[in-house]
Amino acid sequence: MSPDPGASAERTRMAWRRTGLSATAVALLAARPAFTPGAGAGTYLAAAVALGSWAALVGLAYRRARGLAAAPPRPGQRTITAYAAITVGFTIIGTVLVLL
Amino acid sequence: MFTGLVDNRPVLDRWFNPQKTPVVGEKPDYRFSLANERTFLAWIRTALALLAGGLACAQFLPPLQIAYLREGIAIALLLLGGVVALRAVDHWARTERAMRLGTDLPKSRFPAVLALVVALGAVLLVAAVVIKVFW
Repeated sequence: MSPDPGASAERTRMAWRRTGLSATAVALLAARPAFTPGAGAGTYLAAAVALGSWAALVGLAYRRARGLAAAPPRPGQRTITAYAAITVGFTIIGTVLVLL
Repeated sequence: MFTGLVDNRPVLDRWFNPQKTPVVGEKPDYRFSLANERTFLAWIRTALALLAGGLACAQFLPPLQIAYLREGIAIALLLLGGVVALRAVDHWARTERAMRLGTDLPKSRFPAVLALVVALGAVLLVAAVVIKVFW
């Protein structure tokens, strides 16, 4: 049997990368108001939290990629839950930005 | 006979430690777990797309004729994205548990509900555009 039958580990790693690219778009949109004239302290803070969250998502994806490279691949567990939690965090950041 | 199948732990513990769940379960073939993980990631991308849409509405739409309608649309999309993300992790954890226990995979009406909500939103927007053009 090949080391990765059905290439499932590789496909999963690429799914993490696609998801990271989507998260990048969201983080950039959340940071954008801070670069417009008349931005207030709250807008700067929201942008900083958004970019920090984005860095955390990238870190989680790298961590998961290492787990997937093992043979057999290690289960995702907490990385997956943490990723969803940070995604929900973007809802809060976005809502704060809209209300500011 | 089914005592081992009852999971009374708090939801958060179930989310973070799905592997602890089964008293009688077995580790499934890792390929099934990875397929479950990719489904989770596809839902997270759906959530992120809704979040991006909400942020884009708030930033790129001009102020609408009804006060705060623009902000309302943006917050509705953002909240929908948050719900999709929460449901994604819950469904992932329940699927992982079902696979370990060898029971039926969880059924869900959520995709149908989400599709109807998105379709309803689209119909409302089309109606708004038509009304604006012809009245």
